[in-house]
Amino acid sequence: MQTAWGWPIAIYLFLGGLGAGALLIAAAFEFSGKRYQYDFCPTALVGATVPGPLLILGTLLLIFDLGAGRREPWRILYMYTHFSSVMTWGVWLLTLFIPVALIYGFLEILDAFPATRQWLKSRRWLRWTAFLWNLPLRQTKRIFAGVGAVLAIGVATYTGILISAVGPAIPFWSTWVLPFIPIPMLPVLFLVSAISTGLGLTVDLAATLALGSVEQRLKSLPWIHLALIGAETLLLGMMLITALMAGGSAAKSAQEIIAGSYAIVFWFLIVLPGFIFPFVVHAYAIGLGRHSPVSGVGSGMGIVISGLFLRYLILISGIPAAL
Amino acid sequence: MPATISRRRFLGLTAAAGVVAALGLPLLRKEASSAEERPKARYALIIDTTKCTGCGACIEACRQRNKLPEGLSYIRRIVKGNERNPWFLMVQCQHCANPPCATVCPTHATYRREDGVVLIDPRLCVGCKYCMQACPYQARIFDEKRGVADKCWLCLPWVLGGGLPACVEACIPGARIFGRADDPQSEVAQLIASGRAKPLHPEFGTEPSILFYIIQEE
Repeated sequence: MQTAWGWPIAIYLFLGGLGAGALLIAAAFEFSGKRYQYDFCPTALVGATVPGPLLILGTLLLIFDLGAGRREPWRILYMYTHFSSVMTWGVWLLTLFIPVALIYGFLEILDAFPATRQWLKSRRWLRWTAFLWNLPLRQTKRIFAGVGAVLAIGVATYTGILISAVGPAIPFWSTWVLPFIPIPMLPVLFLVSAISTGLGLTVDLAATLALGSVEQRLKSLPWIHLALIGAETLLLGMMLITALMAGGSAAKSAQEIIAGSYAIVFWFLIVLPGFIFPFVVHAYAIGLGRHSPVSGVGSGMGIVISGLFLRYLILISGIPAAL
Repeated sequence: MPATISRRRFLGLTAAAGVVAALGLPLLRKEASSAEERPKARYALIIDTTKCTGCGACIEACRQRNKLPEGLSYIRRIVKGNERNPWFLMVQCQHCANPPCATVCPTHATYRREDGVVLIDPRLCVGCKYCMQACPYQARIFDEKRGVADKCWLCLPWVLGGGLPACVEACIPGARIFGRADDPQSEVAQLIASGRAKPLHPEFGTEPSILFYIIQEE
């Protein structure tokens, strides 16, 4: 297995996906008009406010994991300069995404709690933010939601491109979508997983905790979850089968995941909480016509935890090519 | 009378100039993008695995010359074959013409010289370890003290001065042959031209340009 990247990078990949996914859900609520159907929309509030801080935390983890760049932070500036490196794309994406997400979250707070405006006006040291709250609020928020959503797709996808770009060095990471389709699977898998964890955080967890129930707000929630779980099962299954068929160290990685040293992580920390449990909960909700708050929160937490361990598993199970 | 400039504006301009200079430094590096543009390597280092006994003298000599901490070396020993008939593959930086470490490096720290030697500029390296992941030969180590990636540099200062890489000097059975690849009369050029010495794992697509191996057919 590779040893250069460990938990800090795994948590960063997870936070990047979670933040990007949450912002995508908030933007979907914004543009579909669902955000404005009720006085208070916890999904949009959490989906807009959480990505900025999450990505800041992730970026701090990245910097913490650097060698010389941690001790001499000005070296981080060099990372903006080499455009053949996927890591340079990532640095640019983070630099653009974080402020856009922070402003979007700020505007969403202003929209959800109009009293914030008075509070800001009463604070001399916060008056410089006036250029933001004097703009037409909803239109400005829409612009940031739209730009943020585009950047979010970039962030979620690039986390997969970053590690699949090592090519023949760690064959499992660059496993193709299918043996005859030369597109790496990880960017696709990470994007779907990002949306799934974002939905789990903003709807299953946040909306259920804030409202006690989510049915009236998003009737199609169970169906969306079943579709996402189905898609992830298909993508992950295809990736493992393609890796097994490819042979060599890619197959070894897949074997370790399915029935080797990483099998416990895979089956009990990814498949059970993130696939089987939410599938049962949401299939049950379809049959019953409603969610119990406990199962909603449980499935949200399961999906989020599973997303974290998926990033960790993919990282740790990367076995360098045999020489 | 000189133009007046406020202190604040001066400091701002100085900071801006500093940032531009910091970003400009790595951008000065020229890069080849297509196969035709890639310069041919001037040197070649051929390892004859049929002579290598796996004694590790090269590993130790490399460690000493490059002042690497105990247990670290730019050369790695891989045992091949079976228990009754083992042979040894000594792996170090292959100095690829299409080095993936340089492609993935976010800072221009890794680059290939005109003479084919791939180097790391430790002043530019941030220590992200992306290059270590991208090298299919796993030829890179991490210098924990300086926080930068490190690897075989072909003992460049010695070679430029007419000397030999430490591993070649130290090799007891004479399994390492070093010479000028650009001189068609040299032993290394003839071994490569005859096809006896081959690049290791050419299917990786990185086009090793200095290291070549003589491997007995099994």
